[in-house]
Amino acid sequence: MAKKLLLFMMLILGTYPLLAQSKTVSGTVTDASDGSPLPGVNVLVQGTTNGTQTDFDGNYTIETSAGDVLVFSYLGMQSQNATVGSSNTINISLQEDASQLDEVVVTALGIKRKEKTLTYAQQTVRSEELTKTRDPNFMNSISGKAAGVEIKKSSSGAGGSTKIVLRGNKSLSGDSSPLFVIDGIPMANNKASQPGMWGGTDSGDGLSAINPDDIESISILRGSNAAVLYGSQGANGVVVITTKQGAAGKTVVTINSGYTFEHIHELPDLQFKYGAIGNAKESWSTTPGDYASEYVEGFFQTGQNFNNSVSISGGNDKTTAYFSYGNIAATGITPKNDYSKNNFTFKQSTKMFNDKVTITSNVLLSLEETKNRLPAGYYLNPLTGLYMFPRQRNFYSYQNEYETFDPIRNLNAQNWFVVDHHQSNPFWILNKEPKTDNSKRVIGSLNISYDILDNLQLQVRGNYDYAVKEFEQQHAATSNSTNVHPNGAWNYQKYDDQLAYTDAILSYNTDISDDFSLNAIIGASYQKTTYGVGVGVGPDGNGTGTLGLLYPNEFFFQNLPTNVPVVSLTNGEIIKQGAFANIQLGYKEMLFLDLSGRNDWASTLALTGNDSYFYPSVGVTALLSEMFEMPEVISFGKLRASYTQVGNEVPFNRINPQNTINASGGVVRNTVKPFLNAKPEIITSLEFGADWRFLDNRLGIDLTYYDIKSTDQFIEVPTVSGEGGYTTEFINAGEISNKGIELTVSATPIRTQDLQWVTAFNFSKNTNKIVDIGPDDEKEINLGSSEGYQSKLVEGGAFNDLYVLKFLRDGQGRILFDAGKPLRTPTTELVGNLDPDWSLGWNNNISYKRFNLGMLISGKFGGNVFSQTESMLDGAGVSQRTADARDAGGVSVNGVDQTSGAAITTVAAETWFRAIGDRNGVGEAYVYDRTNIRLSQLSLGYDIDMTTLNLPITSATISFIGNNLFFIHKEAPFDPELAMSTNQNAQGLDNFNLPSTGTYGLNLKLTF
Amino acid sequence: MKKFIYLLTAVVALSACTNDFEETNTNPYQITGESLKQDFNHVGAFYPSMLGQIFGNQVDHNLTNVTFSQHLATPTPFTGGVNNTTYYIRWNGYWGREYNNVMAPAKQVIEIAEADGYTVFVEWANLIKIVSMSRVTLYQGPVIYTNFGTTGDVIYDSEETLYNAFFTDLDRIIAEFSANMDYVGLNNFDASYGGDVSKWAKYANSLRLQLAMRISKVDPALAKLQGEKALADPVGLIETNSENFDISGYGNKFHPAQICFEWGDTRMSAAMESILIGYKDNRIEKYFDPVAEVDMSLVADHPDWPYKGIRNGAELIAKDDRIPFSTLDISFNDPAKVTKRKVMSADEVYFLKAEAALRNWAGAGDAQANYEAGVRASFELWGAGGVDAYLADDTSIPIDYDDPIAPGSVNDFTNQITNTVAWDPAADNETKLEKIITQKWIACYTNEMEAWMDHRRTGYPKLPPVYQNSSNADWGVIPDGDILRRMPFVQAEREGNAIGVADATVKLGGPDEIGTRLWWDTGGPNFQ
Repeated sequence: MAKKLLLFMMLILGTYPLLAQSKTVSGTVTDASDGSPLPGVNVLVQGTTNGTQTDFDGNYTIETSAGDVLVFSYLGMQSQNATVGSSNTINISLQEDASQLDEVVVTALGIKRKEKTLTYAQQTVRSEELTKTRDPNFMNSISGKAAGVEIKKSSSGAGGSTKIVLRGNKSLSGDSSPLFVIDGIPMANNKASQPGMWGGTDSGDGLSAINPDDIESISILRGSNAAVLYGSQGANGVVVITTKQGAAGKTVVTINSGYTFEHIHELPDLQFKYGAIGNAKESWSTTPGDYASEYVEGFFQTGQNFNNSVSISGGNDKTTAYFSYGNIAATGITPKNDYSKNNFTFKQSTKMFNDKVTITSNVLLSLEETKNRLPAGYYLNPLTGLYMFPRQRNFYSYQNEYETFDPIRNLNAQNWFVVDHHQSNPFWILNKEPKTDNSKRVIGSLNISYDILDNLQLQVRGNYDYAVKEFEQQHAATSNSTNVHPNGAWNYQKYDDQLAYTDAILSYNTDISDDFSLNAIIGASYQKTTYGVGVGVGPDGNGTGTLGLLYPNEFFFQNLPTNVPVVSLTNGEIIKQGAFANIQLGYKEMLFLDLSGRNDWASTLALTGNDSYFYPSVGVTALLSEMFEMPEVISFGKLRASYTQVGNEVPFNRINPQNTINASGGVVRNTVKPFLNAKPEIITSLEFGADWRFLDNRLGIDLTYYDIKSTDQFIEVPTVSGEGGYTTEFINAGEISNKGIELTVSATPIRTQDLQWVTAFNFSKNTNKIVDIGPDDEKEINLGSSEGYQSKLVEGGAFNDLYVLKFLRDGQGRILFDAGKPLRTPTTELVGNLDPDWSLGWNNNISYKRFNLGMLISGKFGGNVFSQTESMLDGAGVSQRTADARDAGGVSVNGVDQTSGAAITTVAAETWFRAIGDRNGVGEAYVYDRTNIRLSQLSLGYDIDMTTLNLPITSATISFIGNNLFFIHKEAPFDPELAMSTNQNAQGLDNFNLPSTGTYGLNLKLTF
Repeated sequence: MKKFIYLLTAVVALSACTNDFEETNTNPYQITGESLKQDFNHVGAFYPSMLGQIFGNQVDHNLTNVTFSQHLATPTPFTGGVNNTTYYIRWNGYWGREYNNVMAPAKQVIEIAEADGYTVFVEWANLIKIVSMSRVTLYQGPVIYTNFGTTGDVIYDSEETLYNAFFTDLDRIIAEFSANMDYVGLNNFDASYGGDVSKWAKYANSLRLQLAMRISKVDPALAKLQGEKALADPVGLIETNSENFDISGYGNKFHPAQICFEWGDTRMSAAMESILIGYKDNRIEKYFDPVAEVDMSLVADHPDWPYKGIRNGAELIAKDDRIPFSTLDISFNDPAKVTKRKVMSADEVYFLKAEAALRNWAGAGDAQANYEAGVRASFELWGAGGVDAYLADDTSIPIDYDDPIAPGSVNDFTNQITNTVAWDPAADNETKLEKIITQKWIACYTNEMEAWMDHRRTGYPKLPPVYQNSSNADWGVIPDGDILRRMPFVQAEREGNAIGVADATVKLGGPDEIGTRLWWDTGGPNFQ
């Protein structure tokens, strides 16, 4: 199918009429100051989109015609024009221009602005950086490359979701994830279910639908400043994705092909010396033995990842087109886990009516299938049985025979040593409880822009984003009886996500006088999202569980008993409408004032009278280097400040919820109090920044300080009194503060003809504080508590504060004992915060002749994480710690008996670890420092010299690539940056998550 | 082209129209009060979902009051064997279940019924509130009843206030039911009595007798007053099994069967084994199944009665060890066979009357007649044979218990019950009370709430203490040989309503711990 489509598209492209009167011009661009060649200079035929860039040696080749004007531009250099004459060679030397920083960036709504005029922080990551190491989910590649961006990747492997938070958590009710915008249009990013303490599997997110090779650049608008034009959905920042488009001129074919393998970094530190007593499932014998251990590592396999893409682009001065096909075929680190993805992209742009009208259309199609993505948490997780298997038993007998014939039932039944709610035979889960996630998605957009006058443009856009998602797991009869009926269980959900968006924007640019310039836009937008509409099997749509199937091992609707409902699912429908305006006033190209305002109408605030709300923003930028005479060492200096407000609407169906029908057909009275006076949450940001460049732009410092205040938070509170017969009510209250610093220092320490070294540090520090929790100052908001781990919000505390049960101690710090066992605090107590104190990324790019080395080191400093895995392994007597303690004849403690006052110095290993470990243990013992530093990306490329080879290939680059290669420093016994859940809950928690992995491989990129 | 652009612009401009916002923001898969008015469901449709929450699930019921009453026991050493069953509190959820799913909706439903003049529905909901709260108070003691739904600080009712409020409310409820015996409005919504108001009145009156007996030691005068009122009330008491108050499973499987057969987390208790086998009680085969695959080694001590239970609060190593022990009777696993769960049955009323007779309450009748009628009603209910021989048996007594898995004497116990089944008119009241409560304990299988209350109130039946006592200062220490007396106030209340809990602790009359006796659990003699 894919191949046929590819062939078809190539045929279409092949019929494109190429320029008839064209000629080929080539030449070299050099630096006027030292004559060295300048790589990466933009060469553009004036008035067209036909352009190219110079290569490593400053050489370029472009299809053009006589009389055309070529424009040569380069960051920090004065642009230069040259008219094409009879000669086929044009060599140019560019003068440095210290004041020039005219790089144009894509901002909100796809509007392009000169970067120097921006009044807020924006950082752009180019495609080379994104695809360098071929991570299937491109957002993972941003980590460490931009300041103020916290990225955590799901532990679930290829196709898994990513948690992204810009400048800290700003909302008590939402997950504070930013808006994703593709070519100016919002993208649906409906993250389905996530695992928690008890189990569950990551269901991926919408981002994997994009082929990373299609991305031209990603701009991160960290503040809500720029996002004011997107309305409330941009309140948490915006990630603007710009995709590649065809360029006029020669048809360019690019093939990018990579192969990587994936291996696990580390497993928990397990013991294989002591087995279990009798039939116990815990290994608490004190008689040493010598037991097999290889089966644990043997369970995992080397993952493989084939990542191939081809793109074809070309066109003429009227029409350009871009087509690509991408394929990822991956097998995971656990048996039976694989992931496949096919992306098709077709984008075209045509100019009509004397080039006054440009119509651009873009179609993205993605097909994803994931098999047996592993869960996290206790239930139906192969890792629980794998790690906790009693050591004296023979694992291989269960591995080889995960099923045995049961003559009583006349079927093959699970073969495992114990009936336990946490454990199953790992190989039974893999083979007899297969899981498939399927996602098919199409995004189609149309953009019509009309140049009414030279400086007046109307742009109208429309977009439809449609995805069908199907999740299925078939649990065979005799799977774990805690979750599965004796006849088996069927989890099945199929639903649609839809997003329809349209907007119209009128933009006007003029010079009011010699000194004053004006850029103005006015527009309106409409967006309707309908998420998660479909059907699910079981009372909550989450599967039949223990309710049963009529006949064993048949998984379809007819086999459901009458007490198993099939339910209608919805995550809600939301309509948002906006009208907005933005004015940028410039004075002498040195002082810019930016004013914006937006009015939103949100359907989720219907009935409140507050469904229409306005919010403004104002910003100012001063280019000091233009205003004042600066010492020569300073090439550029800018100060900026901005103030922004954004309104954030409440979630779907919170204002007036109705009654529900339960599994047995009864009507359950709604007990959530109607919230008829709800107001939008308001996020107010103040931001100051400075952007300075020194030494001919070879050193740059971009510093931002921000102060974000979120008020009128939408808080769910239990009505303790049951006032009015309600159990829960929502209030607008509270204040959350996020203050932070983002610093990017970039430098080019070496720039010679052969050797160039570009380096950048990205530093971020965010301080979150719950200033006010609402009218009841003692109120606590629980963000998830289970098994001794709790994250809750209290006034004066911070988001993601971690609370655990601690040891009960006397005044001297001695642990109190009662009847030989350590005592714990009756309630959980604050031990730290799950967020890091600060983050640092260090990115390097070194090119030497034809070699290019990229290296990213990223680190998180401070913060805590919590491991329920370690607690469980201790309780089960399988951690190495428990063996060491048995070897040593007990655990040395500083304790005291609370009744007798007798000092306790040694406790038997089993007594101690069963008391502090297992479920609901003493969490204090399992809190770890989050600090870690790792080599997160490494790539070494070689640009093959094609000029000497007689091949139809313009360029070829072969590279070694690696992701997450190794830890330089790490405190926790697991990777703290792998997330169990990528939504708001269960942060910093490890409970039988998949281990951290590293990938290595080779990549070949060919351009024809 | 231009026209197209104008059109699109117009569409965008016009779209700032918010008329459809309310409908957009409504979940199409929820059901509005307006829609429910069809067939008058807006009042009645909520009763099944409230009644469906009277019984808890595993952690708030099976591992709490069921284990404390020693009807069923778990083979599973949850959280290292340190949990509710061994007197270290891990789960305390019944409170939240009842307040969120019964009290809160009942308040709204009562308001709807009052607004539309459905007075019988109003009192029906009020009765369900008493059913719910009279059970919650057996866990914590003071609860929020009279102040429920008010604003401001939420103050708990002392148990004395609570029981007085129950009685006052029952006066009104029974009066309303009595005046509307031929009302047919409940028919479509009442899976318990098919809408028969007279049966609801009998249940409400029987509930008064039950509540009166609970306080017979702490406030004998009030208990006698209310008890005699119930015994004399013309609406009558539940006297036949056809009048039993059962709650429908609404098509769902009997929940303990799920815990037993699917999760393997509950089995017959050792106390049941000791008492039923010792008394040669034929109800045993209706209650339980013999040991798995007739593994006779497990029942070597009584091969003719191949049932084996687990001691409550046992020392457990591995769950698998006792999986082959006696399960519930397999019929419980079939939602077509066991469709309901009893809340109050005729046997209980007879046993209440038997005790009332011992306490000289007017109208109670003869103690022996009531005692024997109770046993007969129970045998009839369960379809067990041999009741005559059973009632005549003056020799059999419960047996000692041996745990065939645990080594040595671990988990074993010696039977402490020396009374036989046969009534002895010459015996003293204490002996008679022991017989009554022991039979009441056997008969109330599947609704263990009153058995747990009776055991604390009277000390009967003489059940073995937990073998493993893991209580400590965290939740309060239970001395070895003694029993847990209550459940602590719930964490959500401790955090969210600290003032209320502090006041309630004063009303409790002791620390908020598991060893503090409730109001009616005086610790004094059963008879003055």
